[in-house]
Amino acid sequence: MSAVPYRATFVRLLGFLKPYRVGLIVSIVLAVGSQAAQIALVWVTGRDVIDKALVHHDSHRLWISVVVIVALGVVRAALMAGRRLISGRQALDVEMDMRSGLYAHLVRLSFGFYDRHQTGQLMSRASVDLQGVRFFLGYGLIFFFQNVLTVVSVTVVLFFFEWRLALIVLAVTPVLVVLAYRYSHVTHPTLRDVQQKLADVATVAEENIVGVHVVKAFAQEPAEQAKFLRRSEAVFDQTVRANRQRATYVPLISFVPLLAQAAVLLAGARMVSHGSLTPGGFVAFNLYLGMLVMPLRALGMWIGQAQRATAAGERIFEVIDEPEEISDAPQARELPPGDGAIRFEHVSFEYLPGRPVLRDVDLEIAPGTTIALIGHTGSGKTTLTSLVPRFYDVTGGRVTIDGVDVRELKLHSLRRAIGVVAQDPFLFSASVRDNIAFGGGDLSPDEVEAAARAAQAHEFIERLPKGYDTVIGERGITLSGGQRQRIAIARALAIDPRILILDDATASVDATTEAQIRTGLRAAMRDRTTLIIAHRLSTIALADEIVVLDDGRVAARGTHDELARTSEIYREIYEHGLLERQFADAVEARGEMEDVA
Amino acid sequence: MRVHQAGSHLMHERGAEVDDWSWAKTRRRLGLLWGLTQPYRRRTAFSVLSLLAATATALAPPYLAKYALDDAIKAKGGTQLYVVVGIFVGAGLANWAMYYVETYMTGWVGERILADLRVRLFEHLQRLSLGFYERNRAGVLISRLTNDIEAIDQLVTDGVTSLVQNSLTLIGTAIILFILDWRLALATCAVIPLMSLATAVFRKRSARAYAAVRERLGLLTATLAEDIAGMRVVQSFTREQPAYDNFRAVARRYRESNMQTVVLNGIYFPVVDLLSSVALAVVLAYGGHLYFGGTLSLGTLFAFMLYVQNFFDPVQQLSQLYNTFLSATAALDKIMGVLDEEPEVLDRPGATTLAQIGGHVAFEGVRFTYGRGDEVLHGIDLDVPAGTTVALVGHTGAGKSTIAKLLARFYEPTHGRLTIDGVDLNDVTQSSLRRQLGVVPQEGFLFAGTVAENIAFGRPDATADEIVRAAQTVGAHDFILRLEDGYETELGERGTRLSLGQRQLVAFARALLADPRILILDEATSSVDIGTERRIEEALRVLLADRTAFIIAHRLSTIRDADLIVVLEHGRVIEQGSHDELLAARGLYTSLYGDWASDAA
Repeated sequence: MSAVPYRATFVRLLGFLKPYRVGLIVSIVLAVGSQAAQIALVWVTGRDVIDKALVHHDSHRLWISVVVIVALGVVRAALMAGRRLISGRQALDVEMDMRSGLYAHLVRLSFGFYDRHQTGQLMSRASVDLQGVRFFLGYGLIFFFQNVLTVVSVTVVLFFFEWRLALIVLAVTPVLVVLAYRYSHVTHPTLRDVQQKLADVATVAEENIVGVHVVKAFAQEPAEQAKFLRRSEAVFDQTVRANRQRATYVPLISFVPLLAQAAVLLAGARMVSHGSLTPGGFVAFNLYLGMLVMPLRALGMWIGQAQRATAAGERIFEVIDEPEEISDAPQARELPPGDGAIRFEHVSFEYLPGRPVLRDVDLEIAPGTTIALIGHTGSGKTTLTSLVPRFYDVTGGRVTIDGVDVRELKLHSLRRAIGVVAQDPFLFSASVRDNIAFGGGDLSPDEVEAAARAAQAHEFIERLPKGYDTVIGERGITLSGGQRQRIAIARALAIDPRILILDDATASVDATTEAQIRTGLRAAMRDRTTLIIAHRLSTIALADEIVVLDDGRVAARGTHDELARTSEIYREIYEHGLLERQFADAVEARGEMEDVA
Repeated sequence: MRVHQAGSHLMHERGAEVDDWSWAKTRRRLGLLWGLTQPYRRRTAFSVLSLLAATATALAPPYLAKYALDDAIKAKGGTQLYVVVGIFVGAGLANWAMYYVETYMTGWVGERILADLRVRLFEHLQRLSLGFYERNRAGVLISRLTNDIEAIDQLVTDGVTSLVQNSLTLIGTAIILFILDWRLALATCAVIPLMSLATAVFRKRSARAYAAVRERLGLLTATLAEDIAGMRVVQSFTREQPAYDNFRAVARRYRESNMQTVVLNGIYFPVVDLLSSVALAVVLAYGGHLYFGGTLSLGTLFAFMLYVQNFFDPVQQLSQLYNTFLSATAALDKIMGVLDEEPEVLDRPGATTLAQIGGHVAFEGVRFTYGRGDEVLHGIDLDVPAGTTVALVGHTGAGKSTIAKLLARFYEPTHGRLTIDGVDLNDVTQSSLRRQLGVVPQEGFLFAGTVAENIAFGRPDATADEIVRAAQTVGAHDFILRLEDGYETELGERGTRLSLGQRQLVAFARALLADPRILILDEATSSVDIGTERRIEEALRVLLADRTAFIIAHRLSTIRDADLIVVLEHGRVIEQGSHDELLAARGLYTSLYGDWASDAA
């Protein structure tokens, strides 16, 4: 990373603090105030208590000074508390802003972005990187400033007290800062590596435990142990390395100021005995010296911290700067009323330049009809359906709904009119009700139930422990593939879409359920234009017409009887696989029926 | 296809409840830790000694500063001052050295203990039977090896050192203060009750506040992870705004609980600071009084100031240790719970190695019960000649997978016996049995690692040629070559980079390379695309040739081609025979087949 963008990123990060200028200034003023109180406190201790009261046996003066010290202590603590409360709140506000800002951008990024990035990667940016930045912006900068303030003001005071002693201190200052910086710089990659190695151990452990039946079946316990041992030893080696770095730097960092103290002790004591330094001055000087040690160490750490925060900020900005590929056109309008006629006009599409997935697809779908899309993996079925709700934009040609190019419509209005059931439906860890009502905003319980009934999901939902309020997913119960699919269908139906897009799920369901789903779908498709990506014969049977895709082109179109006569590809697909009804499931279905009876 | 949440592990409560504080239990805990240090006795001794020395040397400087000042005031200066400063530097150097040794040694021993404990736990888990894994959720067991070990890590590496160091510093400082001047020491101690009170209140409140922060951060992370994973659904249903509002609400709640910690810290630390000013004032006031009486030197007063400055640190540090200590103890208890588990299936004393088998399998009156539950197999009799392909058919809970598990001896029959080539499975070692078995699980479970490593899983010593041949035989070679690094392509966690069908083919290659005499196969229920489907069928044919195979079957083609179809219901064999025989018998199978055939037509 070159220096200029580095600085630019840093400046840009500081932009997050802009709304909090006033609070920032107040914090700084309070920090200056408490710093001044601290300096005064030591001053009073040395100059007043020791030099004036004690040396001159002035007990009245002693009492006054002690009261002043307590008063300064109170002032200092009060200012400190104020500073902490203000800057702490502000740090949380900055954090909230960053989180919200990042999230607001994430919801606007299109499918293409999510195709290119894994959840884990994005999570690490939104949590680990954000953590680093917010810690630095929230607390780091203030601490940094406070430390600089302490170092500068205390050094000035030291010079004021006794410049020759101050020179000794000044000699140590850069050493300490550099050491602390080096330590933070050296150890950070090691510690990050430790985390990585720990993650490796976790992966092996997880796979071993989840795949225990495979391990045991192949009698591979010894090999697994060896693998685990290797990963575990890697953690050990790396932590020991981090430990050695710590042993090298930390004791040294606490030794260096001791040298300064010794020098000050020696020189100071000689000055006191020669009378060129008062005992109070000597004491105060030593106390000030003590005040310097922590901030000097911290300075070095914060410099490293700032670098890492900037690097983390860089990664966050990468996401924030990601363009919104799909958004409303300037003059976008609402979808006009209509019956849901879809037209693909010479549509072509490529995910990667030069690799067309769809080539010149021309397809007209009459309102209210059901089209089954079939074809081999990679023939472009899913891509074709994704163009209708504008999950992607065509690279050539256009897609219209009721005569309007989808790119001229408001996304919200367009997508509200389309119900989508993905191949592997994603459900949220929430109640069944919330999942079904997901797209509908505030649906009444009756409406949710109606959608569930239409999707043939009502019965099994009623049998769940808490019915519609049963929480599913990671924080709740696990549903079977067929159940998940039906909830996804109910979710799509709940928004009463003009157009329905279904990807026939991979998870098989037993024959009875499948028959039920088919009944549900038939009801759901009434008065809607439906595109189904079909993998099974029974699904094809639902369609008015079948479209066969091959290598991104429409290879054939017609009814089953027509295609069976005319299309080679259709016959091939029809005769294999699709026909393979899963017999054992029929047996299972029978067993379940018996169990119920 | 579960709802996957990347942040879900954060939701696990770092349970800090320790229910048993009895001496017996405590002794077991200490015994375990003590046992772990035993191989490293010398280093452990070194780290303890260096810790003591480092703490002691760190206490010396203020004491020496007293002499420096007193000497200076008496204007003696001269050699004695040099001696004092010499000792000062010497103490500093000694502290540096001891601190170095201590940091290195304690870290080393601590990490060594952890690594050993981790591996011991893992090895123990490897010995446990499948039944244990079926009773316990995978997430919980993984957490033992990761989160719990890390909880102990905090105690073993930083915690113990910090505990000893801070306690010693506290005690040492107190002793030195009393030696310097017991009257002034007593006066200084007046602040301690206030300090303790403030700390106790703070500790209790902040423990609660931080628990809330952790919980809400977990929720925040989980929400974010889920929303990112489900962003396509969010966008499909145009729920961007509600999702954003919801996220902000969760973030705001996290912020609120965080604000509590800000307030707590914002009060506590200034209070501590104020108390240290008060302590200084007490030292100065009473010390000044004593100085006027001529019974206290300025140097002693100076030393007091320096010590008092460092007095409050250990108290704060120690108060923070309490939580670490609790969660580490809880983690240790959980780990001991696993270590206490005994494997249910053990090699008998005198178990022999199963010689090269032919593959003749017999179930003789086999009954089986899981734990204390109901019997699930009620007297199974099967005689399967070597080389037979058996299709197990029946509904969920009929006993298909139990039969497969008994054959692999993941469990032992509660009655009756199971033989291969006439040898009772209970009389042979598990590893010699399983080395001659191949198991293909549903969906073909793969491991992170390369394609080649996955294929060679059952035979790590296989050559590259053998791996390629196995892949070619099952028809996986072509798609593997199309991956960016061919056989050396990293598959990622659980092989998720491959499609379902591809994963199954790799699992077939793995089973084929292991070249088992007996194959146990759980057919996938998911449908894959047509091309792959056909390839899987062909691969299966190759795999089954010349082997005894038990297939938990879901596909008609598999069932029809089987030599023997075993129809199970409620733990009993209802019918058995070939497809044609069973159809001719006009029993359950016939009616099922009839249903199917009419449905497909």
